Amino acid sequence: MKKQHFKRILALVLTALLLSSALILTGCGEKGDRTLNLFTWAGMFPDELLRDFEKETGITVNYISFDTDETMLQKLQVAEGGDYDLIIADDYIIEVAIKEGLVQKLNKKKLPSIDNVNPLYQGQFYDPTDEYTVPFGAGVQTIVYNPAKVDIDITGYADLWDPALKGKLGIISNYRVINGMALKTFGYSYNTTDIYEINRAGARLTELAPNIRLIKDDNIQDDLLSGEIDAAIMYTSQVTLAKMTDPSLEIVFPKEGIGFGIMGMFVPVNAPDSSAAHEFIEYVLDPERGATCFEWLGYYCTFAASEEHISEDFRSFLTLPDEFNKEDMEMIQNVTAEAEQAHLTNWTMFRSKCK
Amino acid sequence: MSKKRNIAATLGTLPMYLFTIVFVLGPLFLMLALSFFQVDGWSYKAVFTLENYISAFSGTYLQTLTTSLKLALISTVFVILLGYPFGLCTSFLSPRMQKFIMTSQMIPYWVNSLLRLYGWIIIFRANGLLDKILMGLRITDEPLKLLYTYPAVVVGMIYVLIPFMFASVYQVAGRLDYSLIEAARDLGASRTKAFLSVTLPLTLPGLKTGIVHTFIPSMGLFFIADILGGNKIVLTGSLINDLLTKAHNQPLAAALATILMALTGAICILLLRKPEHERQ
Amino acid sequence: MKDNKLHIIRKKRGFFKVIYPILMTVLTYLPILMVVIYSFNGSRISSVWSGFSLKWYSQLFRDDAIFEALGNSLILALASSLIAAVIATSAALFIGRAKLPFKWAVEKMSLAPLIIPEIILGMVFLAFFSLLGLPFGMISLIIAHTAFCIPYVYNQVKARLEVMDNTAVEAARDLGASPMKAFLTVTLPMLMPAIVSGMFLSFAMSFDDVIISIFVTGVDVNTLPIIVYTSLKTGVTPKINAICTLMLGVTVICYVIAGIIGRKTKDKK
Repeated sequence: MKKQHFKRILALVLTALLLSSALILTGCGEKGDRTLNLFTWAGMFPDELLRDFEKETGITVNYISFDTDETMLQKLQVAEGGDYDLIIADDYIIEVAIKEGLVQKLNKKKLPSIDNVNPLYQGQFYDPTDEYTVPFGAGVQTIVYNPAKVDIDITGYADLWDPALKGKLGIISNYRVINGMALKTFGYSYNTTDIYEINRAGARLTELAPNIRLIKDDNIQDDLLSGEIDAAIMYTSQVTLAKMTDPSLEIVFPKEGIGFGIMGMFVPVNAPDSSAAHEFIEYVLDPERGATCFEWLGYYCTFAASEEHISEDFRSFLTLPDEFNKEDMEMIQNVTAEAEQAHLTNWTMFRSKCK
Repeated sequence: MSKKRNIAATLGTLPMYLFTIVFVLGPLFLMLALSFFQVDGWSYKAVFTLENYISAFSGTYLQTLTTSLKLALISTVFVILLGYPFGLCTSFLSPRMQKFIMTSQMIPYWVNSLLRLYGWIIIFRANGLLDKILMGLRITDEPLKLLYTYPAVVVGMIYVLIPFMFASVYQVAGRLDYSLIEAARDLGASRTKAFLSVTLPLTLPGLKTGIVHTFIPSMGLFFIADILGGNKIVLTGSLINDLLTKAHNQPLAAALATILMALTGAICILLLRKPEHERQ
Repeated sequence: MKDNKLHIIRKKRGFFKVIYPILMTVLTYLPILMVVIYSFNGSRISSVWSGFSLKWYSQLFRDDAIFEALGNSLILALASSLIAAVIATSAALFIGRAKLPFKWAVEKMSLAPLIIPEIILGMVFLAFFSLLGLPFGMISLIIAHTAFCIPYVYNQVKARLEVMDNTAVEAARDLGASPMKAFLTVTLPMLMPAIVSGMFLSFAMSFDDVIISIFVTGVDVNTLPIIVYTSLKTGVTPKINAICTLMLGVTVICYVIAGIIGRKTKDKK
């Protein structure tokens, strides 16, 4: 009897296997000759856009998702700049990839719509001459709070230390942003390599511990919306989601200064089909399609030509607000190994102090 | 004859022996080597250094080891207390019920474990299921805010680890000879005594396997603490994760992993020392 | 009178024995129930319930990539748990008499993949495989998964061997059965529950693994946990809940069918 029972389990596994393979067979019909190996975070494009691209060009999109920039870099290093045709990742990691010779120069002749890009996001530290990348979405770290539950007026980072916020604050799990916030309260740069400054900010940060209820990168807007936390520091896409669900939330661009980041599209040096990658970039650069992408993504629109196509509901979230002082913006860049280590030590100490 | 059997035995052991040497010891050796290398920007240099171990043993980083150990011990104790009777009681049930419980223990695996943890978030959330039940029963008046606390993490750990204890105990308990327990009881042994002198020793191998399969992974599991604890409990695994995905310091991560492995290995050897003597 | 009281006590204990496993089983399904309920949520945000909707299911069926990944995950889990079962069972049976240097040390080391946090294991696997020049894809995935599947089977089988009665095997041998025959007719059936339970654990671990898989997979092979994990990172889409609910449904139906078939064949006997 026992034996029969186990045979049944095996039979089950096989059943499930058969079932799914049947599903696959019905699922994938004809595939084009050309494939675009697109390597980026999950959910960067609406499914419809990818399908339309496949239909119009005959190129199959093979969407491969990574979890962090660092994993992407390691995989790209092992592949020696091959395997993948197009990658979208964060600014600082692109700087490393370019330095290591893993990125090829874009063929601007194949990108007639390149002028649609907003010059504000060009000429940045990771690609000063815009030879390698096309910016695709930008974001700033923003404070969002629920005015019904927070008694104080929040205008900058320093207000987050207020005891009124005890156990009410949620922050993203990015130490360059959070340590940087403490640096900013002293008026230091995000990118300082002065260990004294970093450690002074680190000590300041541990005083924030009693206010912290939550540290997390993914979907922190959910916790603000469910009332788990009443104030949070979050990324732009999360702000967009939160504010669109609950318009009563208050958005604050901290007066001490704002750290911002850009995502970029680039083609690896040994990409199997670099012309497919160019075709895709050109496809997305189309003003209307670009607008669709950014509405889906929830980050600031980096294509000037797309701005007018963004619908009213989204426009205020996807374009830089007027009250935004561009002088105060600072990109978070790579720092020396010592500085990085000091940041991590302070961050680890801070996290252990949070209860 | 016996020589032939020895050759057969050697051949039978060889696949796992070779696999372990190539695909487990190989990568491990790489990790060990890496832990003595020097970090160099976004990569590392093959220059011998003890620096990684020195920083690993500095206060802040060392503390993560004690935090990991504490959580692993608490989780293991709870898993023994809850999981051992679970496996044992199931083996006392009618064959049909046993089959039912076994089957129900297997089905959850088809649901992704991360998603199941998100299920716990929904339960623990402020004004979530648990709060509604407790407030409905008038046990509390206001939301408990259990999410992102230590107890929530322990619940998550128990939830993930209990199937291992259950499987190990049930697997051995299912073959128990009940006449022995009956005999002990008939001879006038108290329930406790019958359990301690008959049931427990007979199920001990299962319990031990269960402890190994609970304690070992619990030292390395960090995403439960990160997800249900709101990243506030810094385990060594979580620090290693930060080192690899944020601080791009692979050598230090390798050094910490080596220390973690040595510590876990040492504790396991202590736990399992007895059968080692019996074997010889 | 006294007897009667004892009887009641025994019965009461029996009650707990039945209730406890059922209670544990119910608790196991509590979070899963939440996953199922929220797959029908109209809103994209998990903290807001905006009414019953089937739209995530219709989106799911238009997503071929998810089903392809599901197929890959099943093949991967089946292959690695099967290989682990064969290798580990054979080793557990024979290691005592094998003549191999440092065999007990190697045996202990086989446990290592369980101790090391997945992320570092994934990283060294990536480095090691590229050192060996192994192509990244299904093969590298199967090797990496087999490495952490082996301990599950090995320990289960080992625990069973420790409590196993050898007289049956000896009896079979005394009756003239060849070693092979004694093994196939006596030892293997007695070990089967342990092998299957170890195999099931490894199947489950492999089917669920994400961090190691992300590192060692290539461009062509995506697994379901990779999709789930990376999607959860960028936003919980109820589509992920929907695929898991669907799989749960298929599994339950399969178990019920298997149960009915099992009962029928038993009736025939």
